[in-house]
Amino acid sequence: MSLFIRLCEKNTRIILTKIPNVTASFATTAKPVDIESTEFRVLNLKSKKVENTRKKTRRVEVPPPRANQMAVDQDWPSVWPGPKTFHPAVVPIPIRQGYSLRDQPPPDKYGNTELMKIPNFLHLSPPAVQRHCEALKKFCTEWPVGLETEDKCRKHFPLEVITSDYCYSSPTIREPLSRIVTLRVKLSSLSLNAHAKDKILRLVKDKYSPETDFITITADRCPTKKQNLEYAEYLLTALFHESWRVEDWESEKAEADMEYYDWDKNKSRTNLLTLHAWPNSPTDTDWECIPHVEEYKIAVSDLFNTGEDLHTVNKYKEAVKNVLNLKCEA
Amino acid sequence: MALAGNIRAIMQTTQQLCQQRYLHVTAVASRTQAGRHRATPRRTKALTYEMANPPHYIAHRKTWNSWNTSNVMGGNRPGETAVEDIFIRRFMTGTWHALFVSDIIIKRQHNIIRIAGLVQRSLAQRKMYFLIGYSEELLSYWLQCPVKLELQTVASKEDVIFKYV
Repeated sequence: MSLFIRLCEKNTRIILTKIPNVTASFATTAKPVDIESTEFRVLNLKSKKVENTRKKTRRVEVPPPRANQMAVDQDWPSVWPGPKTFHPAVVPIPIRQGYSLRDQPPPDKYGNTELMKIPNFLHLSPPAVQRHCEALKKFCTEWPVGLETEDKCRKHFPLEVITSDYCYSSPTIREPLSRIVTLRVKLSSLSLNAHAKDKILRLVKDKYSPETDFITITADRCPTKKQNLEYAEYLLTALFHESWRVEDWESEKAEADMEYYDWDKNKSRTNLLTLHAWPNSPTDTDWECIPHVEEYKIAVSDLFNTGEDLHTVNKYKEAVKNVLNLKCEA
Repeated sequence: MALAGNIRAIMQTTQQLCQQRYLHVTAVASRTQAGRHRATPRRTKALTYEMANPPHYIAHRKTWNSWNTSNVMGGNRPGETAVEDIFIRRFMTGTWHALFVSDIIIKRQHNIIRIAGLVQRSLAQRKMYFLIGYSEELLSYWLQCPVKLELQTVASKEDVIFKYV
């Protein structure tokens, strides 16, 4: 046992002599005691004073900043090719950032964390952007002939698909909101007759905006964008064909079923024709040659469709006076 | 009779006690201490720029130490990002022991994590290069995304002192 202890002691002493700086504190406590001569440990009441040798930080030789040696006409995009945190030794500009104390300039660029935090655009200098554009040019294709203006584009491609892509600073590329697909088409660009137009408006209800003439279909029930786009396309196709279809029962529509007043199918028209052809029996062919008949037709339709108010009643009064030739010459 | 009257009085007081509600109200303790450093008598406490500006100056005199889109409105995975940031900070302070003289700045761009900060030059260059590679490698393995260390060195702690309080 004693042999073992002695060996240990020897080893530590050897190390201590080798690295005095690092383990200076251990050297003070591990005082060499001759164990072989005395069986007991010696209590040192008066400890020897040892000078406090702190571990000295070694000064690393640092070359002067690279920015001092940079040529004035150097190629900056090759010095700073991509996005990077600000480094004062690379950027040859005397920048300062920060809120300064009184009578002092703002903190300079060396050791300035504020400059490191903010995103910089040092990689997006005008020559760098120009080079990017030049590099991308070979992937570009000619703009198609015949699509020079917005109106032409809208005429040839009436369907608009609106989707959103989300870009986050996180490892995931999934975003549930990106599944939503909006399909927009102008009602006037669809080839529909009066019946089909009426039917499609009944089917889409509030998805049609009369101000802009757009039918907007939004699909978000499927989990992916592709599925939603296909579903929206299916909806539009189904709407179009459904609006063209004429069911058997649609011919049974009587005057009482009409949802708006149609002058051409009403009693008012026959009455006017009878009155005009009096005393002969009325003919249905030449009703358009009756003077002021168009004005009368619009006035009567307005009176029924928009309701009675001062404007429509006055319009109706003028129309009746005109069509019956009751207007006194002023 | 007197006994009955006493009993009635006691019953009334107990009933009142039961009906009343006792809500203890103290003065509002609107004390804000976090991130603020108290002045010492002889103005010997050294502060960096970050420490010298209390938290209400964020976005006015100083910016955030974590840059990401998780905490903007509608941002995704804010909880995971916060936990990852704490992990990165702990790992960096432990790996670069007593070397960082500023707060650790974590900036996220797409799936890249950029870690920036100020480091003392008390370490040999070779060791520092080793630590950079070591941290980047381990963090990118754990976080499953590219991690870049963009450090700046200063000669000593005294170089980042902004003022004494």
